Amino acid sequence: MRRQTRRRFVAATALAVAGIAGCTGRTGSAGAGTEGTSGGATEPGDTDGRTTGSSESLDSHPAAAGLDAQPTLGPREATATIVAFEDPSCPRCRAFERNTVPRIRDELVATGQARFVARTYPVVYPWGEPAVQALESTFARSSEAFWGLFAHYFADQDAFSTDNVLPRTEEWLAANTDLDGAAVVADAEAGAYDDAVQVDLDAGEAAGVGRTTPTVFLFRDGEYVTRAGGSVSFDLLTSALGL
Amino acid sequence: MTVRLLGVGLPTTRSDVRLVARTTRLVLSVPVYALFATLVALATLSAFVLSQNLALVGDVVLGGSLPLAARLRVLVELYPFVGTSYSLLSGTALVVVAALTGVDLAMVAYHVREHGLSAEGSGGSAAGVVLGALGAGCAACGSAVLAGVLSLVGASGLALLLPFDGVEFAVLASVALVLSMYWLADGMRGGSINGCPVDP
Repeated sequence: MRRQTRRRFVAATALAVAGIAGCTGRTGSAGAGTEGTSGGATEPGDTDGRTTGSSESLDSHPAAAGLDAQPTLGPREATATIVAFEDPSCPRCRAFERNTVPRIRDELVATGQARFVARTYPVVYPWGEPAVQALESTFARSSEAFWGLFAHYFADQDAFSTDNVLPRTEEWLAANTDLDGAAVVADAEAGAYDDAVQVDLDAGEAAGVGRTTPTVFLFRDGEYVTRAGGSVSFDLLTSALGL
Repeated sequence: MTVRLLGVGLPTTRSDVRLVARTTRLVLSVPVYALFATLVALATLSAFVLSQNLALVGDVVLGGSLPLAARLRVLVELYPFVGTSYSLLSGTALVVVAALTGVDLAMVAYHVREHGLSAEGSGGSAAGVVLGALGAGCAACGSAVLAGVLSLVGASGLALLLPFDGVEFAVLASVALVLSMYWLADGMRGGSINGCPVDP
């Protein structure tokens, strides 16, 4: 009797967990707040039925769709290309920006070995969506301001919410750039750059990013090498790229 | 006195804790079971960690044309405390769950093989491993996973109430595993392990 009760308890627990574990699968769209499953920065079994063969090139890979119109650091002709899907509201993206991106900039971008492409992908907390609208609105005016605002979101991540992200963005732009912060925010509120936001969402969805942020796609000599989910290390990236 | 909830014994007293600790120590004093626990813990941690980046493992570690040293570097950089994929908190949680899984399954194996008994309580191991796997996924990602799951029941806002970005699941896994260890120890009460009596 006691044994049966224990087993029932365990079975019920396992069943409930297994139900929750559906989050490790993939359905639904990539939009934030949409119904569906997720796996955050590490979706176990990050295989959504899509097989990315190593024969895919930078020109044809869905993660690189419209790449030339994206915020980019480093020369186009660099040996390696790192395409990162990131959400300003994602804690592991913050870790990636703190631990890995500075070394990418200093040791790969500055030396011309790699270019780093940021693709905004708001799927974690709700304030990421208006933040990404503001980022696209900013990028349309100034790439330098974009990188500054991008860094600001990660640096002060805990301070942002859906209610304050745009007012704070306006303040930061006014204080730190030559841009008209009010105009940037007005465009963000109006969704003036929805198309640009959607390009990234579509690229991520087509590439199988799901809700995994950050996800980086690595290319070398114009050919796809691999993808990595989570706040992976600089050494991992350079080793995978053979740099 | 052991507290019971729905007919299930729960470890609540100091003697219950001592029982689990002593039983665990006795089982692990047998070298083959200590080795088994270690191997299971490593396998569990590897499963948690590598399952997060199957494409990377397939493309670069197992496939591709990198030299062996580079493949190994990519592999080890995926683990907590070596690479940067996990925070101190989530990395610690994963290692703890993996270690508990190893010890728990060693106890299951001992109980079944040496005592010739059914693996009563071992079901907790399965729940612990499943929770641990979920915790591994969540711990590395932030609350996206939770928001997605909870949105299915119209409660996506609840994800914001989990301050540790999914490590909570690893804690639940630890609880399930410790419960399993207690039930196993309780089942071995009165017997002997490696020639030493377990508390009656």
